[in-house]
Amino acid sequence: MEDLGKIHQLIIHIFGQDFTFNIESMIMTWIVIISLLIFGYLAARKRNIIPNLLQVVGEMIIRIFYDLTEDALGEELGKKYAPMICGLFMFLFLCNWLGIFPHLEEPTKDLNTPLSYGIMGFILAHHAGIKAKGLKTYLKDYCEPMFIMAPLNVIGELAKVISISFRLFGNIMGGSIIILVVSYLTFNLVTPPFLNAFFGAFVGTIQAFVFTMLTLVYIAVQVA
Amino acid sequence: MSYDIQTWIKVAAFSGGGMAMGFGAIGAAIGEGHTAACANAAISRNTKLSGDIFKAMLVGQAIAESSSIFALVIAMMLLFTKFPAHVLTVPVLFGAGLCMGLGAIGAGVGAGYPAGSCCTGMARQPAMSGRLSTNMLIGSAVCQTPAIFSLVVSFILLFTDFSKSPVSPTWAAILGAGIASGFGAIGSGLGGGLVAEASCDGISRQPETTTQVTNVMLLGQAVTQTTAIYALLVSFILMFKTFPATHLLAPPMALLSAGICMGIGAIGPAIGEGFAGQSAVAWIARNQKQVADLTRVMLVGQAVAESTGIYSLVIALILIFVV
Repeated sequence: MEDLGKIHQLIIHIFGQDFTFNIESMIMTWIVIISLLIFGYLAARKRNIIPNLLQVVGEMIIRIFYDLTEDALGEELGKKYAPMICGLFMFLFLCNWLGIFPHLEEPTKDLNTPLSYGIMGFILAHHAGIKAKGLKTYLKDYCEPMFIMAPLNVIGELAKVISISFRLFGNIMGGSIIILVVSYLTFNLVTPPFLNAFFGAFVGTIQAFVFTMLTLVYIAVQVA
Repeated sequence: MSYDIQTWIKVAAFSGGGMAMGFGAIGAAIGEGHTAACANAAISRNTKLSGDIFKAMLVGQAIAESSSIFALVIAMMLLFTKFPAHVLTVPVLFGAGLCMGLGAIGAGVGAGYPAGSCCTGMARQPAMSGRLSTNMLIGSAVCQTPAIFSLVVSFILLFTDFSKSPVSPTWAAILGAGIASGFGAIGSGLGGGLVAEASCDGISRQPETTTQVTNVMLLGQAVTQTTAIYALLVSFILMFKTFPATHLLAPPMALLSAGICMGIGAIGPAIGEGFAGQSAVAWIARNQKQVADLTRVMLVGQAVAESTGIYSLVIALILIFVV
């Protein structure tokens, strides 16, 4: 029970500074990236009018997320952002499912991973907002309804990053803690597969989708 | 009259366990009753489907009950596990019980709503039974998220070694962490349930909108949970930040108040956001062409409703870091 919520770290001293690397999350992230690359290669290798299984899966994912993005952002911007949204979902989905396999851990269990994607979404959304509205209108929007409210509006925008990343982190880490504790209490009998199916597969899919949709919606709210 | 430390730990374990199960029993029972009431109405409207509706009712009630089972697990652990003899074990046991008990209220009531409207919807639109059940499962599983946050905070409290921390401010931080996540989960569970209820209703009213309704439901529920996430953040800071030892009374009280502030401040915004999401999902089912507009108004409205929750977060962070 000692490794509850612990993350393996490598601390290197260079130039009098401590650099901390979360080795486990990094290795797991690379596993996810490489598997996605392999999937992409295999799905697109023998493109045919009569698709094979992997091509069907790939086309389905891409179709769903292109439709969603175009609904939210309109035809033109939708085409631009759809590849990012699609990639974000596939990455987070595989990250959340990774914990189902023995000896592998979800990279999303480490707060740094969701937080970096939250910050990425934040920067993308505000970049899109400045580009669509112009810097002056963009800054003016913060002073609604009154000039005094500007600091609170800024805090509200920053709180979005916290809420989006803690939602993913809390669900995935919470799931893994519950699996650990309940399996320990029941001496690993019967329960682990069901817990993994619920917290890994079901909650993981929903949370990956929610994270992707929220990133998309944040962009849409800024652009509108 | 003075008692030894073992007695105090027992007192804390018993009262914590009692509170966990006592508060934890409130929500699930209300939710299950609501489901059963809806199932009765549905069966009398469409008698041929009574078997299917009965099954859907039982599944929905089982999900609504899970938050109560979390509370039962914590209560049993508090009563039967042996805990280290240390002064800080007392607030840990008390806080963990309070956290899980309060945290189970909202999710239990909330998960009952979609189960009820799923039963009613099956009577109205038998052809959509499968999609309705799937949507109900997703909706009520997402309702459980705040209760899962409470469970996680309780587990972390119970299994973290606090023996090296100074007693004086840490006792308040531990209690504050429990209170923040406990109260903070009430509103989000309830609000998420309202959104999911409207979505089951909408699918049975207008089956073509199923995909849009489910997507907007997930969005609405996710935003509804935001204040519970702030409460979780405050709990994490209180549990994992090391506070300097002090013999004054003011610093511990600041930490305790931070927990109370964030916990209670999270209830209202979450229920309000639930109303916004409920109405948006209900009207998407009636007015399919306006999905983008309705979603945007929902999100902006929820953001405004959330501002009081953000004020609570700001005050809680000031209490922890500045005072």
